[in-house]
Amino acid sequence: MTETGLPLAGLRVLDISSFIAAPAAAVVLGDWGADVIKIEGPDGDANRTIMRDSANYPKAEVDYPWQMDSRNKRSLVLDLKQPAARAALDRLLAVSDIVICNFPPPVRDKLKLTYEDMKKVNPRLIYASLTGYGETGPDRDRPGFDVTAYFARSGLLDAQRYEGGPPGVPVPAQGDRATAMTLVSSILLALVHRMKTGEGSWVGTSLLGNGLWSCGVIAQAALVGAFLPPRPPLDRPRSALGSIYRTADDRWIQLTIVREDKLWAPLCRALGKLELIDDPRFAEIDERRRQSAALAAIFRELFATKPYDHWREALAAQEITFGVISRPQDIPDDVQAVHAGAVIETAIPALPRTIANPIRTSFAEQRIAHTAPKLGQHTDEVLGEVGLTADEIKGLRSSGAVR
Amino acid sequence: MTETAERDEANDEPLPLAGLKVLDISSFIAAPAAAVTLADFGADVIKIEPFDGDPHRNSYRNPGYPQSDRNFPWQLDGRHKRSIALDLKNDSARTILDRLLARADILIVNFPPPARERLRLRWEDVEPINPRLVYCSLTGYGETGPDRDRPGFDVSAYFGRSGILDAARYEDGPPGLSLPAQGDRATAMTLVAAILLGLRRRDQTGKGGWVGTSLYANGVWANGTSAAGALIGAQLPARHPPDRPRNALTNLYRTQDDRWLQLLVVRDDRLWEKFCAAIDRSDLAADPRFADRPQRRAHALDLAAELRSVFAARTYAEWECALEGTGIPFGVIGRLTDVIEDEQARHAGIFVDTTNPEIPRTVNNPIRLGFATPRPAGPPPAVGQHSEEILREAAFDEAEIEALKKSGALG
Repeated sequence: MTETGLPLAGLRVLDISSFIAAPAAAVVLGDWGADVIKIEGPDGDANRTIMRDSANYPKAEVDYPWQMDSRNKRSLVLDLKQPAARAALDRLLAVSDIVICNFPPPVRDKLKLTYEDMKKVNPRLIYASLTGYGETGPDRDRPGFDVTAYFARSGLLDAQRYEGGPPGVPVPAQGDRATAMTLVSSILLALVHRMKTGEGSWVGTSLLGNGLWSCGVIAQAALVGAFLPPRPPLDRPRSALGSIYRTADDRWIQLTIVREDKLWAPLCRALGKLELIDDPRFAEIDERRRQSAALAAIFRELFATKPYDHWREALAAQEITFGVISRPQDIPDDVQAVHAGAVIETAIPALPRTIANPIRTSFAEQRIAHTAPKLGQHTDEVLGEVGLTADEIKGLRSSGAVR
Repeated sequence: MTETAERDEANDEPLPLAGLKVLDISSFIAAPAAAVTLADFGADVIKIEPFDGDPHRNSYRNPGYPQSDRNFPWQLDGRHKRSIALDLKNDSARTILDRLLARADILIVNFPPPARERLRLRWEDVEPINPRLVYCSLTGYGETGPDRDRPGFDVSAYFGRSGILDAARYEDGPPGLSLPAQGDRATAMTLVAAILLGLRRRDQTGKGGWVGTSLYANGVWANGTSAAGALIGAQLPARHPPDRPRNALTNLYRTQDDRWLQLLVVRDDRLWEKFCAAIDRSDLAADPRFADRPQRRAHALDLAAELRSVFAARTYAEWECALEGTGIPFGVIGRLTDVIEDEQARHAGIFVDTTNPEIPRTVNNPIRLGFATPRPAGPPPAVGQHSEEILREAAFDEAEIEALKKSGALG
C-alpha cells in the first residue's frame, strides 16, 4: 500500500479518529506515501454519513466528503471496548510509526488509548493527539467541533461581522481542515525528533489553539489591550480602497489596496475617473479615510455600471490588487485552481476530481485518490499483515471484536 | 547565534530544529509566520530585508487593524529572527546572498514569480549554489497559470477566490468577512509541513528541492467540503439569518447584554418541554403551533420571534445560570476580551509570555510537542540589527563588510 519515492513511503499510520480535522491529517500523510489504516468502531466513523446528516452540507448522489477525508485509507473494524480487540490493536501499534487519536480524554483513559498506554507497546511510536480545547483544563473533556472550538470560542465569529449584525458563519469543516495541516506539521516534527534520538513522542494540537493562531493578529492585539473596532457596514467602510463592490452582473469585486500611495492614481484610471486623481477631497490618504463614505458611494456607483469581466481587465491593466468573491461553483472551472494544484484528478469513476492537500514539492507528487474504503474492507488483510493467523482472525470475528 | 545556543543548552533536550539555518526573504505574513514557527522550534532564522524593512513592520498602522501604539503584529511575526538589511538590486548584495545561501538549509521566498526571476532567486538559480537547500515558495495563486504573477493577499486569494466569503454569509446578505491575516496564518502551517517534508526527503536522499504552497490552494483546502461538493455539482444550501432560521431551536439569539447565545437543541423530540420550563415559558409547550417537531419546523419563524424576545430579556450570565445543568445544549459566541483571560486557553498553551516588556504576552504557534517547548520570545529585530554579526558568521572580514556598506549593498 505504500509507494516508493514519496517522502512518507514506508510509514504506517493508524488513524483512530473521527470526523474531519484528524482524519484529514491522516489523508495528507497518505497523499505523501504513508500506509494509512483507519480503525473504526462497528458503526463506522460518523463522517461516513455526515453529508446526509448535516443540514449545512451540499447534497449529492456521491458521498464526496467521505471520499475526500478517507482517500487511500484501508479500513479495519475493531470494537475497542472488547479486550480481544484492544489486544489486536497492540499488535498493530507494535509495528506502526504514527497513531492519530481524537477521542476526548476520558474515552482515551477508559479504552487505554493514552500515549502512556501505547508507549509501553512501542517506544518509537509517534502519538498525535487532537482535542477541541487542549489536554488539560476545565474544558478538556468537552467534545470540540470546529464551529464551537475553532470559530466561536476563539472569538473569530464575534469579530467576523458587520457592526450591529449577527456573528459570522464558517463554511463546513473550514477550521478542521486548517487544523489538519498543523497536526501534519507536528507529526513531521516528531519524525525529525525520532530520527535524531530514536525515540517516539507525543505531539498534538487543539481546535481552539488553531482558531486563535489563525486570528493571531487580533489575538496579539487583544493581549496588549487593543481590539478590532466593529466592521462598519459597506456604505461607510473605514477605507473605500479596502472594501467590496457589487458589479453590474451581481458579482463582488474586493479592492485590497495596501500601498495606496502608489496605487491611487492607477485606480482612478482603471475606474475611468481621471478627475478623481486630483480631487482635493481625496488627495491624500488622510482625506480619503475621512471621506471614505463619499468615496465608497462614488465607487459603488461606478462598479455597478459594468460587469465583473470589464473590471477584472481594467484593474489588472493598472496593476491594482483586487480579488473577486468567487462562488464555490466557480472553482471547478477555474483554470488557476488546477495550476495551484488545488483541484486534481482521481481514480474514482463517480468522483473524477477532488481537492488536493495544499503542499507541493518538486520531488514528489501526491498519490492519486482511490475509492475510500467500505467499513471493515481491509480487516483481514491488515490483521494478516501484522501476523494474526487466519484462526485468530476468525476467533475475533466470531466474538464480535472485529468485523 | 550565541544567544540561541545558550537558550538551547538551557533546555533538557535540544529543540527539534536546532542547528538549521533559515533565510527568510519574505514579506508580510504567511511566509514570515512559517519562519517564526521554525524558529519557535529552534531554527536560526535570518530575515533578509530591504533597507526600509519588511512593510509588515508598519502593518499596525493599517486602519483595518486594532489600533495600538505598540507594534504587536511585528512582535508576532518577527520573533526570534535576526535581521540583515540587503539591497538585493545591488550586485554586491548578491555576493552576500550567495554566501548565505551556501550555508543555509532552508530558504523561504514569497516574491511573485517575475521578481524571483529578476532577482535570480528561482529554485533553478539557487540550486547550483546549494543543492541541499530546501527551497520553499509561497505564491498567491500558484507557480504557473494565468494568475501566477498576481500578488496575492489572504483576503483575495485565500478567502475571496476560494469561495469561502461567498459561502460564509447569510442568505441575501453581503459576503462574509475575514480577519486580518486569518488565512495567512493558517497557510503558514502548510508551509511548515511542506518544509519538513523537504527536510525528510533531504535526509533520505541528500538532495534539496523545491516545496511550496499558495494562498489560493489553502483557501480551497479549508473550503474543501464545499469545493469537493461543487466538483460534482452539489451546491451549498443558503444559510438563513438568525431572524429566519429553518429550525428555531438551533439558532443564534442576542441576549440583553449584546452577547449571542448559540442554541443547539438538536434533540428537541426529547428536550422541548424541559427547554420551555428552563426558559420559564411553559405556555409555549402548550401552544399547538409548537406541539411537535414538524409543527415547530413549520412555525419556525413564529417560534424564533418568541425566543428572540425571551433571550433578549436577560443577560448571557443569567441564561448560563438558567440553562447550565439542564441538559439543554447551548454556547456563546466568544469575544477576544474574554479569550485572553480564558483559563482553558492557558491550558491549551495558546498564549505565552515573552521577554519583551512592551508586549509581555504573545500567541503561541499551535503545535505542541511532548519533547520540547517553543523558545520564549524576546523583542523582534530592528531592520539590519544583525547585519554585521551574520556576515561575520559567513566568514566575511571587517574590510569586506565595510566595503559592502559603502557600496550600498548592506544596510
